[in-house]
This record gives sequence, C-alpha cells and structure tokens, in this order.
Amino acid sequence: MSRRLRWWAGILIPFGVLAVARWVLPLPFLVEVLIFSVYTMACNFLLGRVGFISFGQPAYLAAGAYGTAFYLYYFGRDPLLGILAGLASGLLFSAVVGLVFVRLRSDYFALVNLALAVIVYHLMQKVLAPITKGDNGLWFLDRMTSTPVLDLTRPDGFVWFAWLVAVAVWALYKALDDTVFGACCLATKTNEDKVKFLGYHDFKIRWTAFVLANTTAALAGSLYGVYFGFVSPEMASAARAADPVVVTILGGTGTLYGPLVGALAYVGMKDLVSGVVGNWEFFVGLLLVVIMLAGERGIWGTLEPWLRRRWAWRRPAPALQE
Amino acid sequence: MSHPDGALVVEGLHVGYGEAQVLFDVHLAVPRGRLAACVGRNGAGKTTLLRTIAGFLRPRAGSVRYGSVDLVGRKPYEVARMGIRYVQQDKRVFADLTVRENLRLASYATGDWDWDVVFKYFPRLKGLLDRKGGYLSGGERQMLMIGRALLGRPKVLLIDEPTEGLAPAVVEQLGRVFEELKGQATLLMVEQNLPLVGRVADVVYAVKEGRVVAEITDPDAIRSGAVEAYL
Repeated sequence: MSRRLRWWAGILIPFGVLAVARWVLPLPFLVEVLIFSVYTMACNFLLGRVGFISFGQPAYLAAGAYGTAFYLYYFGRDPLLGILAGLASGLLFSAVVGLVFVRLRSDYFALVNLALAVIVYHLMQKVLAPITKGDNGLWFLDRMTSTPVLDLTRPDGFVWFAWLVAVAVWALYKALDDTVFGACCLATKTNEDKVKFLGYHDFKIRWTAFVLANTTAALAGSLYGVYFGFVSPEMASAARAADPVVVTILGGTGTLYGPLVGALAYVGMKDLVSGVVGNWEFFVGLLLVVIMLAGERGIWGTLEPWLRRRWAWRRPAPALQE
Repeated sequence: MSHPDGALVVEGLHVGYGEAQVLFDVHLAVPRGRLAACVGRNGAGKTTLLRTIAGFLRPRAGSVRYGSVDLVGRKPYEVARMGIRYVQQDKRVFADLTVRENLRLASYATGDWDWDVVFKYFPRLKGLLDRKGGYLSGGERQMLMIGRALLGRPKVLLIDEPTEGLAPAVVEQLGRVFEELKGQATLLMVEQNLPLVGRVADVVYAVKEGRVVAEITDPDAIRSGAVEAYL
C-alpha cells in the first residue's frame, strides 16, 4: 500500500467505523467519545510528543467552554461563532500561561498546572460569579440559533460536526508527526540540550506545542459548551484533572489512535458500569489498574504491534549492512 | 583582541558550577582550518571547556571569541546558528527519530538539505535512513551525530571524546574523517586516545585540574605522544 493511501486509510478506517457506529451506539455516548477524544489528543500530544505531563487540562477545557459561553450568553447566538470565541480564548489563555509554565519541567509542570485548574475553578465559581453565575452556571441552549448544513443545536447535527472536528484534529496531529516541528517536539522530549546545539530555540518549540495542545483542549471545552448549552465551574474541577492523563495512558501514550481508543474504553466503561452500580468510579478505577498492569503501553500500544504482525502493516525493515 | 582570520580563541576563562570552580585561567587558540586536541584525565575540565564555548555554561571571567565575535553570553542555539557545532560525548541521538528524521532536523535548522557530504564521510548511514536512532550501534550513532553537525558547512566543530568505547575499525574511520575535515572547518576535539591525537592534531593542549599545563605545536612532539608527560 502506498504511503499516501496508508495515510488516508489511517484516518478513514477508524473514523469510518465511528461514523457507522452513529446508527448503532446511543448518540450521547458517541458525542462524548468524540469530544473526549479531542480533549485527550491534546494531552496525548503534550505527554507523548513533548514529554509534558499536565494535571491542569480542565483549566484549558474551561477556558474554551467559558469563551463560548460568554459569547453565546452575552453577545451572540451563532454556535459556530461561539466555538470560534472559545478557540480564541483558549489560544490566548494558553499563550499567556505558556510563557511561564513551559519553563518548568516534569513534576513542577504537572503541579503548577493542577494549581491553575484550582485557580480557574475558584475564579469561575466565586471571583467572577457576577458574570459566570457561580455554581448555577451559564445556560444558553435556548439562545443558540440554528446553523446551516449541520444544525449544531440539534444532537443529530452536532454529532456529525463533532465527528468532523475529531477527524480534523486527528489529521492535524498525524500530519504534524511528519513535519520538522513534530520531530523537534519529540527531540525536545528526548534530549533538550541536543536540540539547542542543533540551533533550535527550545523554548519556542515547547511554547508552540503547549499552545497548540491546550487550544485543542479549549476546542473540546467549546464543543462541550455548545452540545450541553450550559457551562459551570465544574468543568475546571481539579477532581477531574487526572481524567485526560489516565485516558491518554489507557489508550497508549504517544500513539495516534490512543486517544480515540482510550476515550472509547473510558466512556464505555463509565457508561456500562454506572448503569449497573452506583459507585462507578471505584470499579472504573479498578478496571484501569488491571488494564494498565496487563499492558503498560496502554490498549492501542499493546494491540498495535500484534495487529502489525497479524496484517503485516509494517513497512519492510531496511536491510542490515555489514 | 580580534581574530579576523576565523580563529577560535579562548582567553582567561574561569568556569564553575555553583561554588566549585572547574576551569582556571584557560587560554587556547585554534587557527582556522586546524585541529586542536585537548587531552587530560577524567574530571580535568575538558568537557566543561567545550560546553562553555558552545554557550551552555556562562564563564565567571574570560572571553571566547570566534574571529571578531564574542561568544560569551550567547545562547547555545545562537552559537549553533553561527556555525559552531557541538558533538556531545554521550553518543545519544534522538532515539525515537529515524536517521532520516535526525538529518532532517539538522537540515531544517541550517537550511542545508544536501546530505551528500554526510554520505561522503559516512556512507553506512545511507542504508540506515529508516532505522530509529535507538537501534543504531555506538559507532553508527557517532557517525550520525558528526554527520548531523556537518550539515550547513559548520565553521567550527567541537567534538567531545568521539572515539570513546568504539571499535578500532570505527576509530580508524573517524580518524580519516577528521583529517579530511581539517581543511574545511576549525576543529577542537577532546580526546583521550593519544595515538589518534598524534595522528590528526595540529596543536595539543594538556589540561590538568582545570588548567592548561602545556601547549604542544611541534608535529614531531605531537606524533610521539609527548603530551603524556604532562598528564
């Protein structure tokens, strides 16, 4: 199979399966999988490509969600413009925060992001309550106007929009893998000094990656906002800070399909188990431990080599030279 | 003092980590197109010297000049963009990237996409383009690191213990490469392999406990390994 054909097959097969699943799976479940996979793609890029582990993703999710909510509650009615407003606020927020945060490494980076999520939560819940309506949140479902072609105010239109966004984001990250910037990110993760000695400005690489990933998280927040027509401080809750990291690891850190597989498994387990028992978090946590013990490379990280062998997807290895 | 002929000149260099001083009043000069070797025991400060020239460490005093340009205070990527490349001792390439991607990174940074110069010196790399850096042997990694540094026609190559732990055949090959490179770039090499130093170096500096204790320029003395008396 040619390289270009493989590239397209890589997108069309998994997302084609999801598109077909639209008629099989419950619609809210599919929407949640699609949005959560976008959210996880951001975390997967940070962790798998740049080596940043962030427990502050809810802060960026909320930045996008509130950007959308402010626009749709106070200014306009078009959900597409609302999503653009969310993207812009996520971009601006992560660009400013990134100037400071990307100077930090490993555990400090993780914790300062967690602290950011706590700060954003309190800002939205208390400090900015006059405009965010505190815990009551902002409701704008009935303010949104219909959009042409895909009506985002209707779940059956929104699901296709979310599908398109997920395909686009996935394709963006896949394309990035083949660029010099993608290689720079991976090189920064492996050995930052050597990147500098090659003549690259390491800070700019980390900052760009940080902004890109967190704008993606904000996009997921915007999608949540438009889908539910409601945004509350809970979105920035530190209690949910580990979710994207867990799903990234569950799916397979640094793999392209990991976020999709991880989101499918996580949301699936959550829905399945919560339908049977009340304290679903306990059982989902237990299942996660078992899955991770079984294969520390995550679901896709474990499956991929097996699938490659099974269907010989792997390109022929270069001949060894004497 | 300016050196318009493109010499690399270090004068009165004092460098340390925290409270510990490592280099004391180091002076050396490498004329353009020549190869200088720094030899000395482990911990003598040789690597610290290269890291300071490469911009990774800021000296407490002294100057590092390339021609008329002062390198002190410049960031490592700025020094690299000036054509001064540092090949580290650790022989660690970007393990998750293929040889091709490793070379692409260097090409993009330098704007030089002509890899013939790399394959001219290291033809073996041509057959390994799709292999990940993590699966290369020590010798192949060293070839890739030096090959990467050669892109963009570097003016100065700072090479830290290039032959450490390599098979004699690879050491022999690298020796030939250094001899060929001498006319095209200025080389400052840290090396403990005295026979190799005797073969390729134009000037040898003996470094002991952070000080340059001898400068040997006589070709016969270099070839005979006279520097050993100072170590």
